[in-house]
Amino acid sequence: MTDISGIGRSVLETARDEQRTALTEAEAKGLLAERGLSVPDHETVDSPEAAVEAAEEIGYPVVAKVSAPSVQHKSEWGGGVGVAVGLENPESVRTAAADIFDAANGAGIDASVLVEEGADLEAGLEVIVGGTRDPSFGPTVLVGLGGITVEVLQDTSHRIAPVSTAEAVEMTRELEASPLFDGYRGSPAVDREAVAEAIVAVGDVLDEHESIREIEINPLLAESDRAVALDALVSLDDD
Amino acid sequence: MSVSDLFNPDGIAVVGASATPGKIGYEAMQNVIEFDGPVYPVNPSASGSVFDREFVSAVTEIDGDVDLALCCVPAPVVPDVIEECGEADIGGAVIFAGGFGEAGPEGQELQDRLVDAATEGDVALLGPNTSGFLVPEEQLYATFATDIDTIPSGNVAVVAQSGGLAYAIAFQAENEGVGVSAMVGLGNRANVGFEEAIEYFDTDPKTDSIILHVEGTDDGRGLLETCQRVETPVVAYNVGEQDVGDFAESHTGALTGEYELYEAGFAQYGVPTVRSSTELLDAGTALASSPRPDGPNVGVVTAQAGPGIAITDRLKAAGATLPSLTEETQEIVEEILPGITFSANPVDTGRPMPEFGEVVDAVARDENVDIVLVYELYEGGLGYPTDDLEGLVDDVDKPIVFASGGPREIITEELAELEAIGIPTFTAPERAADAVSALVQYAKRNAEPDAVVAGEEVSADD
Repeated sequence: MTDISGIGRSVLETARDEQRTALTEAEAKGLLAERGLSVPDHETVDSPEAAVEAAEEIGYPVVAKVSAPSVQHKSEWGGGVGVAVGLENPESVRTAAADIFDAANGAGIDASVLVEEGADLEAGLEVIVGGTRDPSFGPTVLVGLGGITVEVLQDTSHRIAPVSTAEAVEMTRELEASPLFDGYRGSPAVDREAVAEAIVAVGDVLDEHESIREIEINPLLAESDRAVALDALVSLDDD
Repeated sequence: MSVSDLFNPDGIAVVGASATPGKIGYEAMQNVIEFDGPVYPVNPSASGSVFDREFVSAVTEIDGDVDLALCCVPAPVVPDVIEECGEADIGGAVIFAGGFGEAGPEGQELQDRLVDAATEGDVALLGPNTSGFLVPEEQLYATFATDIDTIPSGNVAVVAQSGGLAYAIAFQAENEGVGVSAMVGLGNRANVGFEEAIEYFDTDPKTDSIILHVEGTDDGRGLLETCQRVETPVVAYNVGEQDVGDFAESHTGALTGEYELYEAGFAQYGVPTVRSSTELLDAGTALASSPRPDGPNVGVVTAQAGPGIAITDRLKAAGATLPSLTEETQEIVEEILPGITFSANPVDTGRPMPEFGEVVDAVARDENVDIVLVYELYEGGLGYPTDDLEGLVDDVDKPIVFASGGPREIITEELAELEAIGIPTFTAPERAADAVSALVQYAKRNAEPDAVVAGEEVSADD
């Protein structure tokens, strides 16, 4: 356990020393993976050729994303080249990575490319798991259905953190969308407990690291036997 | 800082007392002379007397035992008055004036000066920006509001963030013939906030439940921890559901509103929550006058089907369980009333009848039942089964809640007899159902962790 929070602390210390307001996606996923969360296989690279090599190693399809501390809304960045999904072959990986490096050069920022195992969104349920440090309540956590559902219906469940796994399971049951976790129209039931463990992890990380302001895993893809953090953002205190 | 100087004083000074009717220094004097203890009007520019009490020029000049000062003076002079209170060893003060923290940076500066003076002099402050507090049993009316001596004494403490809402609840209690042990409007909470008030009323022998109106505090977690720590049951009415942020930054930030956190937090920390001031008062009354419920299982007995169905519907929506009655209970009920309309749960006797009380007794003694809810329209010549139910609450050590309808003139008195034997009463089916729902929430939210895991709601392996 000491080792794990030690790793967390060093990533956070580095970010703080560089006066950053957020971890990169790879750092955020690393922090959560240390807590037992599943994350897609990934590699951070610095050239289109290295991106292709990483893709060959990970296996197609892959996703290529811009990786830079200053870029948080990756899909809107660089005129839309910040995130490329469903890359099936070396050529498409090379092109996507080159586009990201070009846009970064144009914007005058130092960026890398995150090459990541592609996910089959059809294979699970997209969930959002988040946590924020509230000025009045301290660490808090939430769970909701991902995608636009969370914006439109605001179907979320909240707790003051830290929470137990049983409490986190109860949170998922409080959602109007809870029956979807149990499978519908022939789709398999998803691993509710894995979602709960993601909630627990988010609450614990917030509780242990005062320098973290907010954590958002969106989406967390809940599959039949696990839940995978497809995107993760860790925001740090400004001061 | 001693909050008991504030809420339980031996003597009172009214600073800014006035002999001019309509001024708050006059109204406060008029209220506070009802108190059974010395009262001193303080005003450096007044002479003679008001309500037969000699004006004193300053709190430091009072020759007598004073713990509480009611500050009826304008905001700018309040910090100086509190400094003098500290010098005079007055440990509590109520500050009616507005124009402090709620009024921008200048007001905040004034409030900071006030808090410094209070810290220096060890003075517990109610307010600023409050309409004060009442302790009806002591005839202690620390307020400038009028006609508050009509509010009866009881065993529910009202602690409201807003003084206006505190009075709204207290007068509603008066209208319903229910009493309060205290009514407090916290106002700006300069150094006495929810935590201090809850801790004080937890130790108050007159108080058996504490009801909260919450708009938002700087230390929500501290409030929750206090609610969990105290022995006295607490119920909360949390306002602000419609405050929702935008999604510009992140979903997590936008979706995590104060309202959601209070609702979730109160649930986590064992506090039932309600959706209106009426529900708040009803829940507080039910908790204050009943044994603590052991679980969420409600036995419903009704003399009329319709109200019973409405009650059952509402209870289920609120998460109550309506368990099957034991075979033994069903046999007893069928023996009392052969061919009864419905002898499961709810038990529907079809109409009021002389044996109605025996049916309630049987259901209350059922081991599957934690709480009993009874509905019976008033029927002249039959009355309520008060004699049959006497001693039953203590005997079974479970809450029994009774609802009815009938002519106000008749049932007010008859329902009071039920109240006197420990059965809270309501005059609408839904209000009784909501009060019982709060009891159910209290039981569920304070259940031992093992019991929660073993219950229906949480089952980790499916």
